[in-house]
Amino acid sequence: MDEVFEIQKEMYKGQQYSQIYYIRLHLIRTLIYSLLPNWKPHLPVCTVLGLEEGKECIIVGTLYKHMKLKPTILSEYSKERSAAPLVSPDNFVHADDVLVLEDESGRVNLKGNVLSPSVYVTGNVVALHGKETGGGDFFVEDVLEAGLPPQLDLPNKLGEDKYVVLVSGLNVGSSSSNPLQLQLLVDHITGHLGDKKEQRTAAQIVQVVVAGDSVHIQHGLLNGQNLASKDQSKLSEPIKELDIFLTQIAAGIPIDIMPGYNDPANFALPQQPLNKCLFPGSSAYNTFRSCTNPHLFDVDTVRFLGTSGQNIDDLKKYSEANDTLEFMERTLRWRHLAPTAPNTLGCYPFTDRDPFFVESCPHVYFVGNQDKYATRILKGSEGQVVRLISIPKFSETGTAVMVNLRNLECNTLSFGIQISS
Amino acid sequence: MASSADMKGFYKQKKKNAGISKPSSSKSKSKSKNAATFGANIAQPPALVSHGSLDLQENRDANEEVLRQFDMNMVYGPCVGMKRIDRWNRASSLGLSPPDDVYRLLTSAKTEVCAGSLWDGRV
Repeated sequence: MDEVFEIQKEMYKGQQYSQIYYIRLHLIRTLIYSLLPNWKPHLPVCTVLGLEEGKECIIVGTLYKHMKLKPTILSEYSKERSAAPLVSPDNFVHADDVLVLEDESGRVNLKGNVLSPSVYVTGNVVALHGKETGGGDFFVEDVLEAGLPPQLDLPNKLGEDKYVVLVSGLNVGSSSSNPLQLQLLVDHITGHLGDKKEQRTAAQIVQVVVAGDSVHIQHGLLNGQNLASKDQSKLSEPIKELDIFLTQIAAGIPIDIMPGYNDPANFALPQQPLNKCLFPGSSAYNTFRSCTNPHLFDVDTVRFLGTSGQNIDDLKKYSEANDTLEFMERTLRWRHLAPTAPNTLGCYPFTDRDPFFVESCPHVYFVGNQDKYATRILKGSEGQVVRLISIPKFSETGTAVMVNLRNLECNTLSFGIQISS
Repeated sequence: MASSADMKGFYKQKKKNAGISKPSSSKSKSKSKNAATFGANIAQPPALVSHGSLDLQENRDANEEVLRQFDMNMVYGPCVGMKRIDRWNRASSLGLSPPDDVYRLLTSAKTEVCAGSLWDGRV
């Protein structure tokens, strides 16, 4: 169901990013208008230009966060060098960040304690209840987000357990990845490891999904000069190794592979499927599927939606939360997978749709290449139930995740090797 | 200042309204509905045109005016970088009911209208 993420049919005609912001505003604003009667029906809705001082009303628009520490290309040209302190590239949040609301008619500064700038990012579409102050700013009293989308009901499954294995960050070819660990994973999935009980569990695995960052290409070799033939083979070694592992899995189980930040795919989201020529062995099997990032698919009526981590990593840079799962919950409540695209996250300039708008609520929402494993159940106001999963990098933790389709329970598969000397 | 004979073609704007710069009399007809350009009296004031063609009268008939109003209407989103027919189709699929006469103007082969928006090739 990834057609919405594919850009093969798109033709660049000179459009700018204003088009995708317009569509996002239109889609979410239409949604919010339908929610307003249940929220605060007595208040009028107006546009930013139609604000009157002192009149309480509701405005809907896109948020823009003005960040002091956000790196801009213009600071290279400013007369005063190093006006901004050398910050760590991890997080650009500052206490002085301000939020601005924008719609087609204009912008207005937002004041008040209700809207915390460290939670929201540029690109969120929200409704605000408040009034215009004497200084021309908008004092916010309450916020309404789009909320979780509607979810298709899961039929009650009384049958047997079926598992989906989610793994990411294999990083084949990097110094941190251990081929023995990966081989253990492959052997376990294909049922060559363990006693009868383990093998029975492995036999119930119905799908494997590799969520990004599967190879680590040595960028040092790509320094602009012609590659010597031995360097050429060094460059393609990791992919060949990965193909061998994937062929072993594809021979028995359907496997989906998604591109990640380090993979040989395009940079801007939505990343297009990895080319099949990279996997001569595995693509011979019809169980092998190369998919886009983000990836939306159904396994036995259970809807999965996931990314290789770029959307959440970007949110981590420009906002604050307690953990990865909280960021994931926010993206679902904002009904948008990547609100920071195209501001700080590379994105294709769509003109007719915003593919990151979440139409229907998934049952399992996963994000790959995170630092550690975490999971919880998110319950929505209309009875939606979502399993949020943060998949850790396999090359660093040796952990993959198994989801039981019957009851959405989640557990880990950890592989450790200790070679004592 | 230097409007000597050989510089005439280079600087297209002259100090007084004469000759090359646009005759403002014919502009007064289309003054009526220019809601998009806030406060401007003429739709296209004589500007320093350093490159590109001058806006000649052939482009400015009633059909083009209707299409330009469609371009400027913010309800249907920004018009830069999109063909008019694509923008119309997008507005239609988003449920905004764009006007049918615009669609007829854009799809009929009889009228010669510009497929690109107002800013096509100018921005």
